[in-house]
Amino acid sequence: MKIDYELNDRFDILFFVSVFLLILFGLAAIYSSTANHPTASQNFEKQLVFSFISLLTFLVIYNLPEQVFKNMALSFYAVSLLMLVVVLIAGKTVYGAKSWLDFGPIGSQPSEFAKVGTILGISYWISYKERDINNIKDIAIAIGIGFFPALLILLEPDTGTSIIFIILTISIVYWSGISLFALFVVLSPIVVVFASLLGTVYFIISLIAVIIALFIFKRDLFNSIAIFMLNLGASFFFEYGFRLLKPHQQKRIETFINPYADPLGAGYNALQAKLAIGSGGIFGKGFMQGNQTQLRFIPEQWTDFIYCVIGEEFGFIGSTIVLLLFFIIFMRLLYFASVSKDKFGSLIIIGTLMLYFSHFAINIGMNLGITPVIGIPLPFLSYGGSSLLVNMVLAGIVMNIYKNRKLHT
Amino acid sequence: MKEQIFGQDVRRRLLFLIIIAFFLISLIQLFNMQVLQGSIYTAKANENSIKPIYETAPRGILYDRNKNVLVGNKPSFTLRITPDKYDTSLNRYLETMLGFEKGYINNLLKKNRHMSPYVPIRLAKNVDYKVIAWYEENSEKLTGVDYVIEMRRDYTFGVRGSHLFGYLREINKSLLDKMTGYSLGDEIGYVGIEKKYESVLRGEKGIQYLLVDSHQKTIGRYNSGKSDIVPVKGFDLMLTIDKYTQQVAESLFTDKRGALVAIEPTTGEILAMVSSPMYDLENFSSMDFSKVWKGLNEDEDKPLFNRATMSIYSPGSTFKMVSAIAGLEEGIITEKNRFYCNGGYYFGNRFFKCLHNHGSLDLITSIEKSCNSYYYQLALKIGLDNWSKYAAKFGFGRRTGIDIGEETDGLLPTKKYYENAFGKDRWPKGILLSLGIGQGELSVTPLQLAQYVALIANYGKSAKPHLVKGIYQKRGFQKIEPEYYDTGISKSTFDIVRNAMYLVVNGAGTATNIRLPDIKISGKTGTAQNPHGDDHSLFIGFAPYENPKIAVAVVVENAGYGSTVAAPIARDVIKAYLSNRIAKDNKIIKKEVMAGVNKIEN
Repeated sequence: MKIDYELNDRFDILFFVSVFLLILFGLAAIYSSTANHPTASQNFEKQLVFSFISLLTFLVIYNLPEQVFKNMALSFYAVSLLMLVVVLIAGKTVYGAKSWLDFGPIGSQPSEFAKVGTILGISYWISYKERDINNIKDIAIAIGIGFFPALLILLEPDTGTSIIFIILTISIVYWSGISLFALFVVLSPIVVVFASLLGTVYFIISLIAVIIALFIFKRDLFNSIAIFMLNLGASFFFEYGFRLLKPHQQKRIETFINPYADPLGAGYNALQAKLAIGSGGIFGKGFMQGNQTQLRFIPEQWTDFIYCVIGEEFGFIGSTIVLLLFFIIFMRLLYFASVSKDKFGSLIIIGTLMLYFSHFAINIGMNLGITPVIGIPLPFLSYGGSSLLVNMVLAGIVMNIYKNRKLHT
Repeated sequence: MKEQIFGQDVRRRLLFLIIIAFFLISLIQLFNMQVLQGSIYTAKANENSIKPIYETAPRGILYDRNKNVLVGNKPSFTLRITPDKYDTSLNRYLETMLGFEKGYINNLLKKNRHMSPYVPIRLAKNVDYKVIAWYEENSEKLTGVDYVIEMRRDYTFGVRGSHLFGYLREINKSLLDKMTGYSLGDEIGYVGIEKKYESVLRGEKGIQYLLVDSHQKTIGRYNSGKSDIVPVKGFDLMLTIDKYTQQVAESLFTDKRGALVAIEPTTGEILAMVSSPMYDLENFSSMDFSKVWKGLNEDEDKPLFNRATMSIYSPGSTFKMVSAIAGLEEGIITEKNRFYCNGGYYFGNRFFKCLHNHGSLDLITSIEKSCNSYYYQLALKIGLDNWSKYAAKFGFGRRTGIDIGEETDGLLPTKKYYENAFGKDRWPKGILLSLGIGQGELSVTPLQLAQYVALIANYGKSAKPHLVKGIYQKRGFQKIEPEYYDTGISKSTFDIVRNAMYLVVNGAGTATNIRLPDIKISGKTGTAQNPHGDDHSLFIGFAPYENPKIAVAVVVENAGYGSTVAAPIARDVIKAYLSNRIAKDNKIIKKEVMAGVNKIEN
């Protein structure tokens, strides 16, 4: 059947323009922070090339037939896992994490591509035929699909990215229609494990909270005890796994829990970031005029602290525009997910939304000093080819699904 | 697909709430930082654009006891590189000009990679003026390279004092973390007086505040220079060293390994201290320091090691006075007690040797002739406990507490020491015989020997040996009071022992070869067996006999008899100090002593 739409019906201009503007903001900020830098002055040109490649890829993916994603989902997921294993064995260590694969002149981060693979993988598995998402076995497999790559990435160790995978997985499962009780079963072990990292007191409090919740849900005794044991088991298993890690990996996880343990490292950057953004004022200091940026008070500013450049040089107005562009993207994605009749497509859109949002929230929170320092790039703005390409691939998939939404009834 | 399963109402609204909540929090925080507190952050950020330039202060000067300069300061040229402006294609050219090996500059830049590229790095210190002349001619080509004049240590005052003064080096990473007020490239005292008195000598760094633009280009002085801090020179020190005596002592050791310490007995002030082989402190600020350092570290003679305070030797016969004093003080023997020597002494089934067949002899003759048999028998009589008790009174077996950090305890064996090694009452008594003549496990530093002879010279009273007399502070000269102490040994005992030591040189003793017509030297020779080679030659002595002004301990490694090598060195040092002290016009004496020094050297 042939369906004719108006342009805006096939191609959401608001979404695309927002993405495009964010990339432009990113390029400007990268140019400003690297133009006079002795070692990073090539970064602007590289990012410009990445942007073109990413936009082309976006257009190609947008024009693919919709079935491609469904057909490729599992193989893409399998390749992602394979690459994650390979990088652990043969990867190059960058910024303390064994996360980089070198293919001659082109390097890439498998964890970036695994984001696409994992979103496709879980979405495909949940939407395949008629699975019951409230069936314990089906939940466990769905969660496993997402947590397995998270575990591999944790071993690199790249704690930040691994958290993204966990958020992603739970979001997709949440969207798939899981019951509140099942969601509780999934979420509570994570909360308990996290609490156990904070200390014994928090661990005990979290266990008591689990017991209270179990009473509220009023399930039968056997199930309640099983769930409680699951919580207890998860934390002990984690404790055991934690001890298997090498000391520097353990330390990274500990620093994540308590970033103030390393005030000269992470703390220094956070302080300089606040200084840069705060001193931008309402209108900013002007392009290439931010003294914090130009004097390089923040190392590697063009990656995780790119938002400071915007904050300092474009001020409150510029920073708010960037926030609004992100907000538009999120709202459009939420809308796409709601109107998509296809479960597979809808889940992919939510996965993409939560991928963008979790990056955005962690990164902006760190830049504004409201969350701990976790090295996560800001989507579309931060320097980095893999990251931009993956975000644009997902944008292409999402737009493709939106374009074809009316094929499903 | 039913709407209520996914995408509808509750789930969507919940996600929407999370997103909007975070969005609002971010917006509020942004508004708070940029609009409400923008001016506060701006002020803080601007502080970042004031650049402090640190100026090293000249170090305090080291004077001798008569205010002659021992170590001073002199201006020198330092070549620097500012990485931001520097073009690495100049590397090879510069390296050839400065005589560095290939890759030196690259390494230097790599090492400083984490520092701001706008702050100059020292490329070469103490650069020859010819290099500076070359730089001036070619400065246009050499972008990013400049030079500054910095004050450096000046060691051209005729005293080497390697181990005494100690050297300066650029502060290393681990020290940098421990010390406050230092930055990379700063020099710090690593050993000797330079280390111990680092905080006094160093002074305070000066700071020039420069205003820089967003590209770190200097646009002027902050607050027209009114906030600048002028560097404050470090405080000068007056050492207890006598420059001339030190010079003579150093010259006497030119081709020998060993150590010498000369002390003023009444005050514990160290008049001269030599550890040989020496090294040239000047080389530490030379441009090819790394070669010098490697050479010094690999030298088999270990020139970096301070033999005067860290090397341990068997004292040999110089230790006999300890047994004598212990015997007299404890009432075990008197001056009159005689022991018999037939070229040695049988103990058990072993014959302990003496150098000569001395026959029957008393205490004074035993020291004068240095008879071993006498001390084998005396040691057995007084016992290990008494022996170590009196050795401890003279400070053996523990650090003297001299005011440089490098010092060792030596080893003074006690009954407990042997019981730990052999078991209670199981240790062989033959050990005691060895200890009686200053051999065996007993080991001492030359400084401990000097302290010991100073105590004998001054009837058991002295002060902790020290090298610094006082500090020239802002308020004026501040004398450092030494720690006085008294061994509590009676004068009559010292009279006997001192008399015997007088006869060693001036009677029929073992060191009559160093007798002087005008200065009454007393002393004791020692020849210490040494498992690694020839015997060490030792001498301890003091002069003048009645009213001692100087006490000396000399150890010359693998040089044979005490009388032939160590004793003449002690004599010349004593002579140098006393004649210099007595004569107001030291020019003539200088000539005379230098002539004497030359004679010994030839």
